[in-house]
Amino acid sequence: MRVRWWMWLVVMALVLPVLPVRAGPAGTTFTIGVDQEVVGLDPNLVTAFSSFRRIDFLYNKLVRYNDRLLIEGDLAESWEFPDPRTAVFRLRRGVKFHSGAEMTSDDVKFTLERVLDPATRSPGRSFVDVITSIETPDRYTVRLKMQFPLASLLSGLASANLSIVEKAAVQRSGNLQRTVAGTGPFMLAEWVPDNFMRLVKNPNYFRQGLPKFDTLILRVIPDQASLLAGVRTRALDMATINQGAVITQARRESGIVVMQKAGLNLRIFAFNTTRPPYTDARVRYAFSFAIDRNVIVNTAEFGYAAVSGPVPASTPWATPAGRFTSYTQNVARARQMLSEAGYPNGFATRIVTSPTYEGGIAVAQVIQEQLRAIGVNATLETIEWGTYINRWVARDFDTMIELRGGDPDPDRFLYRTFHSTGAVNNFLFKDGGIDRLLERGRVNLETDARRPIYDELQRALIEAAPALFLYTPMETQVLQGYVRGFKIIGNGALYFLEEASVER
Amino acid sequence: MQRYLATRLLALIPVLLGILTVVFVLIRLIPGDAVQLFLGTQVELTPEQMVELRRFFGVDKPMHAQYVDYLSRIVRGDLGVSLRTSRLVLDDILQRLPLSFQLATLALVVAMLIAVPLGIASAVTRNSALDVLARIGGLLGLSMPSFWLGAMLILVFSRYLHISIGQYVPLTQNPLGTLQSLYLPSLALGAAIAAILMRYVRSSLLEVLGQDYIRTARGKGLRAAAVMLRHALPNAMIPVITVLGFQMGYLLGGTVVIEEIFALPGMGRLVLQAIFQRDYPVVQGVVLVIALLFVVTNLVVDLLYAWIDPRIRYA
Repeated sequence: MRVRWWMWLVVMALVLPVLPVRAGPAGTTFTIGVDQEVVGLDPNLVTAFSSFRRIDFLYNKLVRYNDRLLIEGDLAESWEFPDPRTAVFRLRRGVKFHSGAEMTSDDVKFTLERVLDPATRSPGRSFVDVITSIETPDRYTVRLKMQFPLASLLSGLASANLSIVEKAAVQRSGNLQRTVAGTGPFMLAEWVPDNFMRLVKNPNYFRQGLPKFDTLILRVIPDQASLLAGVRTRALDMATINQGAVITQARRESGIVVMQKAGLNLRIFAFNTTRPPYTDARVRYAFSFAIDRNVIVNTAEFGYAAVSGPVPASTPWATPAGRFTSYTQNVARARQMLSEAGYPNGFATRIVTSPTYEGGIAVAQVIQEQLRAIGVNATLETIEWGTYINRWVARDFDTMIELRGGDPDPDRFLYRTFHSTGAVNNFLFKDGGIDRLLERGRVNLETDARRPIYDELQRALIEAAPALFLYTPMETQVLQGYVRGFKIIGNGALYFLEEASVER
Repeated sequence: MQRYLATRLLALIPVLLGILTVVFVLIRLIPGDAVQLFLGTQVELTPEQMVELRRFFGVDKPMHAQYVDYLSRIVRGDLGVSLRTSRLVLDDILQRLPLSFQLATLALVVAMLIAVPLGIASAVTRNSALDVLARIGGLLGLSMPSFWLGAMLILVFSRYLHISIGQYVPLTQNPLGTLQSLYLPSLALGAAIAAILMRYVRSSLLEVLGQDYIRTARGKGLRAAAVMLRHALPNAMIPVITVLGFQMGYLLGGTVVIEEIFALPGMGRLVLQAIFQRDYPVVQGVVLVIALLFVVTNLVVDLLYAWIDPRIRYA
């Protein structure tokens, strides 16, 4: 057979995909797939969830959450409250920034002042705006004085927005969107937007022996099925997945490990309490009896979620959902309540939703179906994400599907969401009793005193129903079996990757 | 020829101006506030801070003032700065343009490699089993969405062949890596285009093969291959080149879904994300550049006609 020119093309076409491209960097490399690129890296400024995940690798905070959602020290070795309005933190010694300079109380003071400064526009400001003064008696001690006692102070300080930055670096560069001035386990080596980010091990990291690999590569792959394909072929060692269908597929494949933990985000069905018929709490509460949350969880999240009340079900403060009477579907009772409120034949209404994950269109469809049983005919207003945000800000909706970010400490989430002055209270909800409970709950530092307040608060919020509380989705990581030592946390943070290693 | 060229190039200006104006107005008319989108739902700002942020973004002035401002900067080659990332729009575009261009070129090469031989075989063995099969194959290729084909290719390659989608590497860094990462996406895109092209090749060839000069060539004693390559194909290619030109223009900005599936940082994804986030300067910049490329490509195609076909002359 004569060798023809086109035969070369065929051979090339078959061989090309399997040729090795380039030698990887020396040492161990860990590759993670993420589905969203980050806009910037300045921890005190960023708002997006995806950005927080990157910051986890580059910076540290005073305190952080461990895998059981309990506060543990990060840059702070210990802390105490000499009186309810004062907090004193003792910092670890010898912690170095990536530049080589030592982290001192000066940097902590600078960071906190930066976050508190309205001109910075930090999303973390409201977590700590109770602080009135920051003193640094010595290089490793920080004393905070507060306007009133705040139980959620530590929780606020554990937020990625409160990561400690290097004072000298910020004064030099202005902002840290493109450069890193942190103490974290990894340092920024290369960033090609929308393609990948390469981080290298911080040799001076204060946790001895960590991280265990030399290079961390974060690849942006927007499609979740492609993320799974990447893990399957070992092009990726790990990926974060939230689509139920892809998780189910991953579970079926041998060699791929699916790690899941109860999360902290809360899916809610929001009411605009200033629009009839939702001005009547009985109508809102009736809806709670009408729906079946288990069906919603199975349909929208393929079962990968926990039914929840106002406090995320995974946290120690949550009242078990089984204790709420309205969580057992009772269509008859719902109809009766609607009747008493003056709507024996139901009414027509609209639900705002969006095709994105946060917009929860599957949830809307299930609820729409379930509301028919009580005579409520809901029309879905499916709008694009930008328009959705518009309507949210303008409070222009009757009802809306939302995904809220919760927190292990109940105050941080509940106050800003349900207090009549709360910044993200887009339900326009005003209830004096609930306001007082929120105010009392946040100033009490002792768990024993706080617990009955928050038990009462959860009960009250479910009955007053500014929103229907549905479920908390699970945090899911998909990884190869050779990844050892990674701990998944409910808030989705990835900082425990510093303890992981690969055994191929 | 020079006059023709000059006229065509001058005509570029009103076209681009028109496109720019339409995009400028449209992107601002759709509901959705750039500043609010930037902040999301979790951040609270005071009214004064909002005013300041709007001024910083440049969206506080009335639309016509923004328009004039933008035009005066475009003339100086300043495409502005992304509202989201504060990076220069021109930098972003120049970074992504090579990938979009490479992908488009590769897709067209794949399409030609499939379409031309099949089209020739189809035309030459008219109405035979091969011809019918090729035409059915063409119909399948046309009907199959390229993103579905892309997803299927990923599945097959990862599940059964254990080959992963490569990370995109720029051509200057490692050409082999570039080829590897664009291999599957250009296959997916090329298949659909091949289907279209094949029909053009076939019908155009059928017409040409019936001409007198073909009979003359055969009568002269030329081998079939020579008749095809020297006489039939060049004449048949003109409509094919037209289609190629349009496809190139379309591919430069229209490959969003393929870029999403294969994680390619191209212009399609850039402009799509910018639209979702109401990042006005990026949307305007990308659309302007794509429009420019489209018009230039068509100009090149028209000039190519003159080069290929000596009978065509531009006054």
